[in-house]
Amino acid sequence: MSVIKIENLVRNYGDGKGVFDISFHVNRGEAFGFLGPNGAGKTTTIRHLMGFLKPQSGKCTIDGLDCWSEREKVQARLGYIPGEISFFDHMSGTEFLKFLAEYRKIGTQNRKEELLERFELNPKGKIKKMSKGMKQKLGIVAAFMHDPDILILDEPTSGLDPLMQSRFVHLVAEEKEHGKTILMSSHMFEEVERTCDRIGIIRKGRMIAVDSAQTLHERHTRSYTVTLESQGTAKAFAKDFGGICKGSQVTVTTKQSLEEIFMNYYGGEKNDEHGII
Amino acid sequence: MMNMALYKREMRGSAKLLMIFGAIITMYVSIIIYMYDPQMMKMLDSFSEAMPELMASVGMKTNAGDLLGFMVSYLYGFILLIFPMLFCILRGNALIAKYVEKGSMALLVAAPVKRRAIAFTQMKVLVSGIFLLIFYSTMVEFLCAESGFPGELDKTAFFVLNGGLLCLHLFIGGICFLSSCIFSDTKYSVALGAGIPAFLYVLQMLANVGGNAEKAKYFTFFTLFHPEGIIAGENSAILGILILFAGAVVLYTLGIIIFERKDLHI
Repeated sequence: MSVIKIENLVRNYGDGKGVFDISFHVNRGEAFGFLGPNGAGKTTTIRHLMGFLKPQSGKCTIDGLDCWSEREKVQARLGYIPGEISFFDHMSGTEFLKFLAEYRKIGTQNRKEELLERFELNPKGKIKKMSKGMKQKLGIVAAFMHDPDILILDEPTSGLDPLMQSRFVHLVAEEKEHGKTILMSSHMFEEVERTCDRIGIIRKGRMIAVDSAQTLHERHTRSYTVTLESQGTAKAFAKDFGGICKGSQVTVTTKQSLEEIFMNYYGGEKNDEHGII
Repeated sequence: MMNMALYKREMRGSAKLLMIFGAIITMYVSIIIYMYDPQMMKMLDSFSEAMPELMASVGMKTNAGDLLGFMVSYLYGFILLIFPMLFCILRGNALIAKYVEKGSMALLVAAPVKRRAIAFTQMKVLVSGIFLLIFYSTMVEFLCAESGFPGELDKTAFFVLNGGLLCLHLFIGGICFLSSCIFSDTKYSVALGAGIPAFLYVLQMLANVGGNAEKAKYFTFFTLFHPEGIIAGENSAILGILILFAGAVVLYTLGIIIFERKDLHI
């Protein structure tokens, strides 16, 4: 059953910017990767889901609730990491998390401590003086601490070091196991590949592919069968290249990485964010 | 309707400004009230009776002779207009538009709190600040007047006058709040929120000069606050206060509705 549903969403900013007739859905307990370069429309789509923007046409719903007109009901179940987190001035991390807990009325029984420990974050200092990575961790804690059952994550790992990125990937995997529905945008292939069941690729405001991560892989798999001089060399060859040996014949398969798949869709126009040159 | 956590945080954000303006007002008000000298006023009054035209030309009217008249001409034309107005402009802009521009509004709207409740809370923060500032200045004036010149102050007229001042500033706050709700860019929100009250205040000053420029008074809402009329008990002056109050209610309501419906690119 689909929890997050986007139907024919249009938001035209002019000059070819915006999103045009986007449709996709995310099922309950599923992690959906929303992949695209900068300026492709990922954040615009997410802003509609969050109820920040009213669709020019089309519709966004979360669990049957309209994302614009019933946004506060939707928000009660959401956890959100903004693409660019901006905090309040003159607040320490501790004060911020305390404020947010009071503001959302979630009480003190929450996952704050566990999450702070997991990401090795000490929130005591002023947010202003924190590094980008620390701010990102604070944003992650803020999004997960009230234990929401739907997560909307806009480039959640930006600014994190590889160790913390992998901790984040584990966190998302755990949440998925607990039946949470996750929509995660990214321009990083590996991140999406490691965490998501299905992947949607957006380019210049249009969805160009929505498929399971598995299918996307298989579609781009190629096999080669080579015949070698003797069975001995064939065995050695099969061992070295991970092929299947049949007499003196060896079948090897190559999988394109998601990055290569991605490049196929974008072929020829690598500098999307800079528009037409 | 109101979010207490947000209200508390924002009131703490108002505290510094309130203290600064409170201190400035305390200083001016006490100095000016203690400058009042009943003997000199009586002398001026007798001059006015002897040669009314001459005294009127330098802006002295007979009824300006008592303590309240003195306070009106020295406090209610500049100090008590400008400083609370500055408070309205600074806070009004910071409460909505600044958060939208910076993007931190995302933290507030990405929570199960209605936008209407967010805007209403921020409005209440502004109104509370204005109320505290006017209440405080009223108390300072009252204490200075009663301690320096016991029994001289016409208390009823004094409190009505300050009620009028409160309504004027609620109205100015309404302009600032509305422009803060309309614009997502602080440069426009300040341009309108500060520009309109400042420009109309200048018009009011022009109108005070008299002559042809007096017509300017029809184009500024400051005319609706008429201190001399209030202490003279004129009905039109009381009506002016009521219009300011009603206008303030309309401005705040409009601001909340606009914020509730607007697109937030955050």
